[in-house]
This record gives sequence, C-alpha cells and structure tokens, in this order.
Amino acid sequence: MKRDLEKVRNIGISAHIDSGKTTLTERILFYTDKIHAIHEVRGKDGVGATMDSMELEKERGITIQSAATYCNWDGYDVNIIDTPGHVDFTIEVERALRVLDGAVLILCSVGGVQSQSITVNRQMTRYKVPRIVFINKCDRTGANPDRVTGQIREKLKLNAVPMQIPIGLEGDLVGVVDLVKMRAIYYEGDNGEIIREDDIPVELQAQADEKREELLDAASMFSDDLMESILDGGDVPTDLIMSAVRRGTLALEMVPVFIGSAYKNKGVQALLDSVISYLPAPKEIENIALDLNNNEEEKVLSNDPDAPLVCLAFKLEDGRYGQLTYVRTYQGTLQKGDVIINNRTGKKVKIGRLVRMHSNEMEEIDVAGPGDIVALFGVDCASGDTFTSADICMSMSSMHVPAPVISLAIKPVDNKTSDNMSKALNRFTKEDPTFRTFVDHETGDTIVSGMGELHLEVYIERMKREYDAEVVAGAPQVAYRETITKKAEFNYTHKKQTGGSGQFGRVGGYMEPLEEGEYEFVDKIVGGVIPREFISSCDKGFTASLNKGALAGFPVTGVRCVINDGASHSVDSSDVAFQLAAKGAFKEGYFKAGPVLMEPIMKVVVEGPTEFQGGIMGSINQRRGMIIGTLEEGDYTVIESEVPLSEMFGYSTVLRSLTQGKAEFTMEFARYNPVPKGIVDDVIAEIKKRRDKK
Amino acid sequence: MLKDELIANNPLGVFKKAANGNDAPPRMGLVISRPGLGKTAILVQIALDNMLHDRQVMHISVGQNIGKTKSWYDDIMADIATGASQEEIMAVKDEISRNRMIMTFNAATFNRPKLEERLNDLIQQDIFKPVCLVIDGLDFAKIDRRLLEDMRDMQRASKLSIWFSAVIHRETPGEIADLDLFDTVLSLDPDDQGDGKIFLNTIKDSTGCVEEGKIMRLDPTSMVVWG
Repeated sequence: MKRDLEKVRNIGISAHIDSGKTTLTERILFYTDKIHAIHEVRGKDGVGATMDSMELEKERGITIQSAATYCNWDGYDVNIIDTPGHVDFTIEVERALRVLDGAVLILCSVGGVQSQSITVNRQMTRYKVPRIVFINKCDRTGANPDRVTGQIREKLKLNAVPMQIPIGLEGDLVGVVDLVKMRAIYYEGDNGEIIREDDIPVELQAQADEKREELLDAASMFSDDLMESILDGGDVPTDLIMSAVRRGTLALEMVPVFIGSAYKNKGVQALLDSVISYLPAPKEIENIALDLNNNEEEKVLSNDPDAPLVCLAFKLEDGRYGQLTYVRTYQGTLQKGDVIINNRTGKKVKIGRLVRMHSNEMEEIDVAGPGDIVALFGVDCASGDTFTSADICMSMSSMHVPAPVISLAIKPVDNKTSDNMSKALNRFTKEDPTFRTFVDHETGDTIVSGMGELHLEVYIERMKREYDAEVVAGAPQVAYRETITKKAEFNYTHKKQTGGSGQFGRVGGYMEPLEEGEYEFVDKIVGGVIPREFISSCDKGFTASLNKGALAGFPVTGVRCVINDGASHSVDSSDVAFQLAAKGAFKEGYFKAGPVLMEPIMKVVVEGPTEFQGGIMGSINQRRGMIIGTLEEGDYTVIESEVPLSEMFGYSTVLRSLTQGKAEFTMEFARYNPVPKGIVDDVIAEIKKRRDKK
Repeated sequence: MLKDELIANNPLGVFKKAANGNDAPPRMGLVISRPGLGKTAILVQIALDNMLHDRQVMHISVGQNIGKTKSWYDDIMADIATGASQEEIMAVKDEISRNRMIMTFNAATFNRPKLEERLNDLIQQDIFKPVCLVIDGLDFAKIDRRLLEDMRDMQRASKLSIWFSAVIHRETPGEIADLDLFDTVLSLDPDDQGDGKIFLNTIKDSTGCVEEGKIMRLDPTSMVVWG
C-alpha cells in the first residue's frame, strides 16, 4: 500500500535544557493514545517520562539521547525526535536536525531565549529546518509570552508571529485564544483532554483583535489572495490565513508562535494541530545526496517510493536484542528481507527486522517508505552511514563534527569489567563521533575524550549502568597541542657504522609554521642526494615526531617540513636509517623554531540577573578569561567571554554559589591559543609532575 | 612590526597630540553623518588606535549585538593591515583584543548611572580600566540634552575620552543642537561630484590637535581613513 506522503511529519522537539521538552513529548504521546498514563520527568511516582528511556536520564531529569518515536494525530503519521538540550550533547541535536523536516522550538515563558536556544536556532538555520515556537510553562510565576516573543525577534532574528494569546497567565492559565479562528479554547478534565471552544472573553476581545491584525499583516506578505481578501473587508477565510502562514513558515521567513503549559495540559493539542498545519511534509523539503560514482556530484533526492533506496543511519542504540539502528529513508522503499549496501564500507546488509519505535516499545512493520523514520535490527554500521540499493552509490552530505577538547584516563576496577568496558567504548564511539577513545602506549591507560566534563561523565555513568562496567576515572585533562612559530633549519646526520650492518642518513632542510592544516611534507631534493626510495622514510620520521612534541609531549600541529639536502651511503643507508635521521632533524629544528604550547579556548556565555554582573565578570577574569562583551536586557545580563578550558573545571559550582543558583553558562570550543608566556613553565611542570606520578 | 606600522599609518593619530607637542587632553568627541557613510567605522578606528597603544577601550553599542560589533573590528583590522600575513594580523588581533570590551544596551535602558555602575564594577575589581569610551548607535533625535550633559560631567570627572556617533538627515550639522557640549566634532560628507568619495571634515576641535576645517579622506569601500 502506498502511503500518502502529504500525511507524514518528521519533527524535532528542540530547546534549552529544562524548558520542558520531555514533558511536552510525554503529553503528545498521551493525547495521541500512545501511552495511557502521564508520568512526570521528576514525578513522585518514580516512573519518569516515557521518552527518557535511559535510567540516567530519568535520574537526572534531563534528556541525553534523542529517542525517536512515532505517533498518529488526526490521520497524520508524526515521527518525533526528542533532542537533548545541553550544549555538551550538541552532536545529538545536530544529527537529529539533519533528518528532520521541521521542528518545534520550545522556550520557557520565564527564562525566554537563553544561550542554548540561540545555539539550537543557529543549528536549525544551518540545516534549513522550518520551525514553529511553543512558549511553554505559561503557568509559572513570572510568565511573560510577549517578552519571549520580543526576544525571538531580537535575539534569534526570527519573524515571530503570535498565533494565540493566553486566557489567564501564571496560576490562572485556563486556555488560549486562537487568533486564526478567533475562538477561545479551554482545556478541561484531569489531563486537559476535554477541549471546549467558546466565544472570546470580553476582556480579551480588544487584545485579540489587535494581535489578529498583526497576524494578518505578517501572513499577507506570503499570499496575494489573503492580501486581497483583507483589503476587500469582511471575514477573512481561515484556510487562506493558514495557507499563508504555512507558506511563510516553509520559506523560513516566518515563525508562528504558540503558547501553553505542557505540565498543566494546556495548549498541547493545538500545538499538534499546528505541526500538521504549518510544518512541512517530507516531499516539501529538498534533500541532497552526493553521488559517489560521479565525483561526489550533488543530487536532489526524489521522495519517490519506487526510486532506488537512499537512507541514512542517524543514531545507534544498544538494546537487549543487539544493535538498533535508527534510519531515515529519503527515497525508495525499505522492505523486510531486502539487501541494501552500506556505502561507507561497501558491505551488503540484509534487513531482518524493521520496527517503528515508540520510546522503549516497538511496533513490527514490513515496509518503510520515503520520509519514514524507523529502526533496523542487527545491522553493523556507524552513525552517519548511508545505505542505498545495490544499483546506486550515494552518500548523504557529511555532518560537521567538532574535535574533542577534553580527555580523561579511565581504568576498569577488575578484569571482568575490562571486557565490558571495551564493549561499551566500542558502542559509544560508534554512536557518537565526538566521543573518542584510545590507549596511551606509555601509561597503558585508556583515554576517553569528548566535548566537555558532563559529556564524559554521562558516558562513564552509562558504562556502569548499561554495561556493568565500573571504571575509575582520572582528573579531566585538557587536550593541549604544540606548534612552532618561526622558520628553523635542520641538518642532521644519523650515523652508526661501528660493527655489524651500519646505518647512515643525513637530512637537511627547514621547518616552518603552516597556516592551515596539521602537517605538510615538501620534497625539494635535487640531484638524488637522498635516494627516491628513502624520501617517504623521511616523511615517516617527521610524522612519527609529530605525535609527541619535545616541549611537553603533546601532539604537534601546523608544521611544514621541507627537505632540500642530505646524504646517503650505498650500503649503510636504509629506510630505518632515514626515519631516524628525520626524527633527529625534527628534534634539532623544533627547538630553534620557537615551539609553543597551545591550549583550547572556550567561548563561555554566562546569563544571569544583572545584580550579579560584577561578580560573574570577576569570576571570568580570575580564570584568565577575556570578556568580549556584555548585553543587558531588562534584569538579565548576558556576558560573552573566552576562557581557557583548563580554567573552567568546576566553574558550574563556583557560578552557582556566586549567584545563588540564578545564573547559568554554556561553553563551546572556540580555537587553540598559545599558553601565555608567564605561565607556560608552570603548566608544563604540572603536566610533567602528573605524568611522573603515573 | 605590524603593530608599530599600524600606529604610524593611522591618520586619526593626529587627535593624540596637541599642536604644542603635549598629549591631547581627554575629550568628548562626536562623529556625525547621514546614515551609511561610516560613522561606526570611524569610531572603531579611533578605538583601534587606542588599543594598539595598549590603552583600554570600552565600546558601547546601543541596539547592536556583540557579534556584529566585534565583526566591525575584525573587518577594519583586516582592511588597515592589508598586505600583512594572516598570521601577523591574528597575532596583533589576539594581543589587542584584550584592550577592548563591548557593552550593549537597549536604547531605552542607556543612562549615566547605569553606565557608571558598570564601569565602577570593572575598575574596582581591576578587570578593565578604559581610557576611552566609544558610544555608537545613540539616537540623538530622541535623547534629551540632560543625558549628554550628564555624560559631559562624567567625562570631566573621570578624565575619560568619550566619542559618540550621531545620524543627521540633512547636509548641515546644525541639525544637532548640542554641539556645544563636544570638544571635537567630525563630519563625514560625500563628495559633491557624486563620484563616491567620502571626506572626514573637522568641524570643531577645541583641544588644539587639529585645525578646524582639516579634511581627511575615507576609502568608500572599506571605510578606512586614508589621511
């Protein structure tokens, strides 16, 4: 049976931490009959919300992994991806956005647009995701949807247009006025499931008229018919307004704003209606893949169920039955029993079971068409792999993956744990490209690295809970790097010609800073002073030297090594001899080339009440931070700064006590900068001391 | 060294020395022009000149966000350092950006007590000690004289230099009624011939650094002062 693609919506629910994403999703599942009881995120019943499927998430009351779930509203298939709100899990958010067609951006009616919302909004813009806004928590003291709408316009630079006004606010919130239909909607019953429509309360009529004017003004920009109808006077047809708003939203030029309180069961059904009305169906979005057979030429995918299959594995989970792979199909049909190709590995994969996920429960299906988000069982792949049918070779465009900035050593508590830890690490690195692991050959420690303290903490917790692998974690370490600052020459002879077979090689040339890239090798040897077969040995020798800089033992980046002179011996020169000569040459040149230690600098944005501005700035200053600027908005101040990562450990505790818990901060990698001269010796001494201890 | 070159080549450096050779006194300055001729660019160049001399500057932006203000500095820096390597520019930028702090206000919330409170916060904690403030984006048509008088008092009391920008809608600076409160007034004027040239005219300078009527030229593409 062919599905009507018009009746599919793939949406993400995305926002700042603690603005109520999980609660909203929970309510959506309740109203769409997917669950039969509502459990709160931090509820007293101890069950937790359905979307927070990992125990850890339930315990902390935050969403870590985006669980995909399916529901049906008014005859439409809706796939929902619940996305994490903390900046440390940004890769999850970005990956989710890649496969979505539209998104609901949730904002708190009190907190408004906070820094993480800005990041998420930027990501949505990058992936051209049409969005609608839901201003949640209108039942909270201090709720002010108008202020938040102003912030959306100002801070997110979006053309926000209110579609509703609240009936009552804070504790008195009972419903909303729908500005399209000009009717009051009340949510009644224990769980807000009884919807009652009524006339607009008299005291709100004037405000409703004024806001409707604004809505018509904004919507008429996208429809000549609507404009004409408004100019003609009389009643403006509802469907004309809705289609104009839809057009503006899909063109990313308008963002309809809805309000409510998921926790108090107000406004959720109207939001679901708006997802159907204003967010795009899969075929309204253009998706592009790279044709690997045709020099990576960009190709627009067709959304045709009969076209060759293209689907993207965007998320992996390890369940009781093995690996569960979430895929989004873009074109073609995925059918149980089909053989498809993983275009990264070239391997054939047979589809065993195909399921539609509802958080932890699943529904077996036989076929998935374009636009579907489903899960496959037992498919070995990594996150971000593209699967196609055998007759084409395409890849969805690569995703932007930031480099990890923090690492720590982990040790299993016993041998049994060691196996489980390896399994866990193997799984996590496949699931999350920003989480990496390797073994330090000198200390034998297993090192994990990622995007922040919380990022690594969560994985360590997950090892314990999901794999029964308890590990001892060392103190977090900053991923320092080394580089050179000036050109320096080298001329090194490696000579060992006493007894047995000898070794001889001389390498001359220079090294210089490389503006872009990590390493470059340039061969300017003329006249064969270094024989052809040993040129690559020199390259190998230099590459090996890059792993561990002579300054403090950190990887060396940004170096160009040029060889232009040398000497060889007809018998004693060998691959090894030239590798050793190049290593010696590198060492000789390195210290003359002004080596410096580089540290990751983070962009830190702190938001808090203005009264704490002085204290917050002081705390940044104490951490070698540079304040880029401050932004005052009413009683709130946003302070943008750049702070070395090494100074940021434990900052959340400091900030909490400094501001009575009223301020919060986000942190993301900005760039590498040299460690200031005044403290570089101390830093190196500290690093060496730590290594010696091991 | 790039930093020294940039200092030496900056035509706006003339405002640092009085005709008698002494350092110029702190001043209240104003740059006026019709919209889009480069007022912000002039303020940024005045700020950059201070920053290159290792003097701290507070850039107060009314109604513009931090990112946009910061990019003004990046763009002007790239334009005045044409010919230098990317590496050299980055090194100077890293060094001098510590001498700048951007503070953004809503038009409605900007006033002297608030600004003074913020400044004192920074100075007392030894976080930042500006010698120059540039205040960009204040709508002179909407503010009353009291605010400017307040700022004048503050400038005298704190011995800071404060530079403002103001939009005029006609060719004549007479549109701004409060010119008497300023020591220096510069005006950006397009060339009468309509060939895209822009001039920076010194309308008034009571600090004795520049003769009234002195004209500098602006590159209309980069908005950098040529001299």
